Amino acid sequence: MPEPVLRSQDLYKSFGRRKVLQGVNFSVYPGTLVGIVGENGAGKSTLLRILAGELRPNHGDVDRHGTMGYCPQTVILNDALTVNQHLDYFRAVYNISDLRRADELVELLGYQEYRQQLVGTLSGGTKQKLNLTLALMHQPQLLLLDEPYQGFDWETYLRFWDLVTELRERGCAILVISHLFFEQARFDEVYRLQEGQVQIQMLVNA
Amino acid sequence: MIGSIGRRYLTATRYALFEQARNRMAIMLLIAFVPIWYYLVGLFTIEDTPIDFKFRVTGAFLHVSGHNLTLLTAGLSAITLIVGFMLFTSTRKDRQFDQRLVLNGYPQPLLILAKLTSLVAVAAAVSLYASCLLVAFWHPGSLPLVWLGFFCAALCYGGLGLLLGVLLRGELEGFFLIIMFSMIDTFIQNPIGNPAANQSFVVWFPAFAPTQISVAGGFTHVVPWGYVLFSLAWLVAFVLFGLAIFWWKTRAWRVHTRASSTSQVSHYVTEITR
Repeated sequence: MPEPVLRSQDLYKSFGRRKVLQGVNFSVYPGTLVGIVGENGAGKSTLLRILAGELRPNHGDVDRHGTMGYCPQTVILNDALTVNQHLDYFRAVYNISDLRRADELVELLGYQEYRQQLVGTLSGGTKQKLNLTLALMHQPQLLLLDEPYQGFDWETYLRFWDLVTELRERGCAILVISHLFFEQARFDEVYRLQEGQVQIQMLVNA
Repeated sequence: MIGSIGRRYLTATRYALFEQARNRMAIMLLIAFVPIWYYLVGLFTIEDTPIDFKFRVTGAFLHVSGHNLTLLTAGLSAITLIVGFMLFTSTRKDRQFDQRLVLNGYPQPLLILAKLTSLVAVAAAVSLYASCLLVAFWHPGSLPLVWLGFFCAALCYGGLGLLLGVLLRGELEGFFLIIMFSMIDTFIQNPIGNPAANQSFVVWFPAFAPTQISVAGGFTHVVPWGYVLFSLAWLVAFVLFGLAIFWWKTRAWRVHTRASSTSQVSHYVTEITR
């Protein structure tokens, strides 16, 4: 049995008196696509931010195995830089030698004509494409995606799922957080986050 | 490894400077506000009115032109305002983006070093512009020394801008604080604006040392190196405090990580919670 790429153990998180996570345990294995669904305010983004290392849990552990790509729900970019400049910046961040994979992703997601434009002038959907590209360009072994297709048009949405399939076949472990899953059948496993805990909602045998 | 560190540092510095160069409001302030401010301040001070200024470098009183002294004050106030504003705006806007960089593996010390480099570059450029523009209104005794005073003031307020950028949530309070500190701090040093300017309490303000250096450049041939160090103490204080907060806010919490394996799987066992 392979080791999980990501394992959360007994995660607790509160904001003041408000208890958001109350003992979250789950694992994500290489080459699998896992979803976490829940109502607005259930704590999905909080969970992902803890898994990514952005937030500290009050209790519990997160074990990660390999490189990580994290696409936050909020589009976090620098409006004063162009698309190309973001790609160059993150090439330095990830310490990778070239932008071949980034170029492929830009073509796949269909926003190559905006490469020289300042991010501050882009539409929300195009910004999200760049937001996603920055998480994927270094070919991580674990992907944490929070509402990754928000603002996508239908064609880009389909391309996104093609990309996810390709990544999964390459052995990447993918965790997607959303408040809606129209295509649950694509997932190997879907958890529901409710009352601060995850419970398995659907399981598809591989 | 050194090549990688150098490349990452240069990348972050390049884009920090690029971002500053794209700050249209700052560019407009430089082009329009600085010359207009020099002109207005000069207009409202009478050319030939002499004033006694306590030159603490030598301990003596200098008998100088109030008009020319006020031009120096105008330059200092404009620079502190603009550089403080530039660093506040960029630091505040970049908070989340900087955290994303760190979360994805960018070394915090390099990011901090890049920000300091851009602070020094912005301070040098803005103070050079303001000191060169001063020549259109008055020829000081030593323009390089005036520039040095302006540069020290810009560094202090760049550090303050950085501190306020990481500390404050709202934009408006930052602008207000920078404007207030800049105006009070610079004009309190001038006996025309403040009759008590020659008293000892003014030495505790950040603009004190830069004012003394600028006055040295305007009216004497004394090079007050000790005052350069004195003004840098304010920069160090602001920057240390600001960078400590920056480090705290952009840190990634420790997650247990292990070396990767590349095996693919075709089946798995899930864990279910209760």
